[in-house]
Amino acid sequence: MKNNLLEALNVRVVGTGDKILVLAHGFGTDQSAWQRIIPYFSQHYRIVLYDLVCAGSVNPDYFDFRRYTTLDAYVDDLLYILDTLGVDKCAYVGHSVSAMIGILASIRRPDLFTKLILIGASPRFLNDTDYHGGFEQGEIEKVFSAMEANYEAWVNGFAPLAVGADVPVAVREFSRTLFNMRPDISLFVCRTVFNSDLRGILGLVKVPCCIIQTAKDVSVPVSVANYLKTHLGGRNTTEILNIEGHLPHLSAPALLAHRLRRALSR
Amino acid sequence: MAIFDDLPDAILSIIFTLVVDTRTRNAMSLVCGKWLVLERSTRTSITLRGNVRHLFDIPTCFRAVTQLDLSLLSPWGQSIFDSSPHPISLAHYLRRAFPNVISLTLYARTPSILRLLAPQWPSLRHVKLVRWHPRSANIPPGSDFLHLFHHCPSLSSLDLSHFYCWTDDLPPALQAHPLVAASLSRLNLLILSSDGFKSHQLLAITSACPNLTHLLATCVFHPRFNDFVGDKTLIAVALHCPRLSLLHLADPSSLSTARGDPDHDGFTSDDAMINRTALENLFSALPLLEELTLDICHNVMDTGPALEVLNSKCPGLKSLKLGQFHGICKAIDSQLDGIALCRLLESLSIKNTGDLTDSGLIAISRGCQRLARFEVQGCKSITETGVRTFACLLRQTLVDVSISCCKNLDATSSLRALEPIRDRIQRLHIDCVWDSLHQSEITGDGAICQHGFEPNESREDASTSDRPAEFMIFLGDDGSKKKRCKYSGEVDYSRVQIKGINCSRFWRKTWDRLRYLSLWIAVGELLNPLASSGLDNCPVLEEIRIRVEGDCRMGPKPTEQPFGLSSLARYPRLSKMQLDCGDAIGYALTAPTGHMDLSLWERVYLMGIENLKLTELDYWPPQDRDVNQRSLSLPAAGLLAQCTRLRKLFIHGTAYEHFMMFFLGIPNLRDVQLREDYYPAPENDMSTEMRVDSCSRFEQALNKRQIGD
Repeated sequence: MKNNLLEALNVRVVGTGDKILVLAHGFGTDQSAWQRIIPYFSQHYRIVLYDLVCAGSVNPDYFDFRRYTTLDAYVDDLLYILDTLGVDKCAYVGHSVSAMIGILASIRRPDLFTKLILIGASPRFLNDTDYHGGFEQGEIEKVFSAMEANYEAWVNGFAPLAVGADVPVAVREFSRTLFNMRPDISLFVCRTVFNSDLRGILGLVKVPCCIIQTAKDVSVPVSVANYLKTHLGGRNTTEILNIEGHLPHLSAPALLAHRLRRALSR
Repeated sequence: MAIFDDLPDAILSIIFTLVVDTRTRNAMSLVCGKWLVLERSTRTSITLRGNVRHLFDIPTCFRAVTQLDLSLLSPWGQSIFDSSPHPISLAHYLRRAFPNVISLTLYARTPSILRLLAPQWPSLRHVKLVRWHPRSANIPPGSDFLHLFHHCPSLSSLDLSHFYCWTDDLPPALQAHPLVAASLSRLNLLILSSDGFKSHQLLAITSACPNLTHLLATCVFHPRFNDFVGDKTLIAVALHCPRLSLLHLADPSSLSTARGDPDHDGFTSDDAMINRTALENLFSALPLLEELTLDICHNVMDTGPALEVLNSKCPGLKSLKLGQFHGICKAIDSQLDGIALCRLLESLSIKNTGDLTDSGLIAISRGCQRLARFEVQGCKSITETGVRTFACLLRQTLVDVSISCCKNLDATSSLRALEPIRDRIQRLHIDCVWDSLHQSEITGDGAICQHGFEPNESREDASTSDRPAEFMIFLGDDGSKKKRCKYSGEVDYSRVQIKGINCSRFWRKTWDRLRYLSLWIAVGELLNPLASSGLDNCPVLEEIRIRVEGDCRMGPKPTEQPFGLSSLARYPRLSKMQLDCGDAIGYALTAPTGHMDLSLWERVYLMGIENLKLTELDYWPPQDRDVNQRSLSLPAAGLLAQCTRLRKLFIHGTAYEHFMMFFLGIPNLRDVQLREDYYPAPENDMSTEMRVDSCSRFEQALNKRQIGD
């Protein structure tokens, strides 16, 4: 599988420039989510795009349930891609779970990344004492039951019918994209995401980070952005976009592109 | 079979030549070796489906093919030479496999495809170019056509109606190849992607092609634009091409699928610069005219007399379509005037004629006694009475009717109006605008009404009704459970009255010959009232087209109630469906708080589709315009995969591989393709659908070769 990982994950390099920019999408979408962002950067950067192994656009046979139990395997994929492409320095833009993957990657290989830009990122989604991640256990349970219902249906040859709109509003914004994959992969990935807790290692990140957050992302409270800023180990900035939603690269690409440019130039 | 053995081969081969249906031919070729050879040698038309990587596997027994369609190869929309390491030998191979091709349909993503293919078939007569992807901005004007014109001097027909190009691509190419231009007799230039040909371009094309017999083109008629097409242009076109038998000139906005506003009175604020005299001169100059379409989106006034001239100057006229023409039939007294004098018309389409009244309609039906096809759209003043009399008078010939966007003709009244031809009509379009009673039926008990009404039942206990002044009618439901629906026996649906109407004769007539039904329905409306509106019993209905239009972002969220596709199970022969939700606009993933994603809407629309015995389905997913996305969601894929009888499934949009794989569970599925045939097709095609083909091919190993549709 390793040999054709680049093909399997639809790796593409577009644009021209000396600097390299990696755009990594979040769950439930694929690299086409960056379509309207690319034109702003393709003149000055070579942009590396790829699909996460769980993305709907990747052959589901490649999803190894024994391998992708934690985010580390996704980090392995990212680093393999960059190494194979011969990238020794790049700026990395990661949305949602790819932001978490970027954080982990930068701990392993701090000299690979000149900058990390984290959009809609969170080190842990579940609330904790003194930590407001955004989701209560009960709300996450609802997501899981919808996922499990879909899985049941799919495995038995029926139509999986639960969609993002069926879960409580509080989790909907984040989780609606999770329904955009095959039900067994969705459920598995959902568990991986909600079990992840990166709070403890944030301090190990030395790469400068820019944390981009929308003002009203129902699933990622603004306090999380501050948490990241204070706990990530390097020099950090935050940018708040005055819009709502968890997918600013889809809903407000021009605004996001402008902020990205600013963040990349610093 | 013994009889067949006795027939001499020559006669058998003539019989075979007459068989057109592909599946029949496939069956015939399985009978015996001799029939296989005969079938192959008489098959003249083939559409290649299958993956481009396997083009070298095409057998060479189809040498008699003269009509070749290469536009549907997988992956859809790709250049067939891109994935081949030996493009030139591939081109040669195609020529060897199909040496006699004179008619070619091709997805010409870039000009280089024709550079390779046009030389293979120098005697091409008819070419249809297809491209939904945007024309590359870097190529000079006309490059798409140069190779074609250069290598195929006997080209007589060119169809660009599904070809994304600019209007200034064609004239220079024609001017550079005058011999080809002179041999062209058919040009289809209804190019949706353009804003329409300007006057000088239209004139350049027509003067280069004096032998045109069929011309279709989108034109700039709007008088505020530079170089618009008006009186002088029309006359010049006729003078350039006096042999025209088919002329179709349309404003580009008439090609859009958006439904008009039924409240609009039919008169636009601007008039087109086309007056009656110009029309009369146009008609006089085209004596061979048989089919005429002038689909203009600005007023053309006082056209009645011009239409009378049309009748006298163009004796062969059989088909007429007019958009925004006013005064077509004044119907004063009982004199026949205007269009009603066109006695030989067989097909008539009237769009947005502001002053068409019931009397005008009736006059038309008195005058055009041969009318088989009638379409009316956007005429605010016609009512059920007019249409009913029209249908009655044309009972002998009328078999194809379409009524849309007419304020006084909602679903029920359209169907009632067509009662005189209920047992004869074969094709029908109506808009599913439900009257207020049917609305309450939906929100009431949501019953699916299985059988026709049994009228004149005495009023049962009114416990379920708070409206005393109504008929209560029983609807049978396979005898197991009876539900009550409310029905108003009064034509005026806005008020409920007790009227004793003897509708037994009315309701028991079935739609004996209705084969094809087309429906328009607004987003948020349900399909269930269709049967009780009058389409209760359609024994031979086999194909249905449903178009859903509207903005999912406005208005209420969908309720749990499904759209109602399962109510179509009452039509026993229904096997083909086109479900077009492409004009239902919404949010794919970025719905703000309070709004619903399109996945929820898709679930509503597709729920119940497994109850129909569909063998062919074309589906257009709803679209998110902000990101130019028309993509299948999880519930949609799951629900479509429940249609166990599907043989063919075409999704006009994109789909994740995860979801495409769901379809492998459908046992007899033979032909699946993602066709992004809308403008503009998304550039970054997801090539994942290739894998489905490879899996499907395993399934089909037992079946016949996967060639032909």
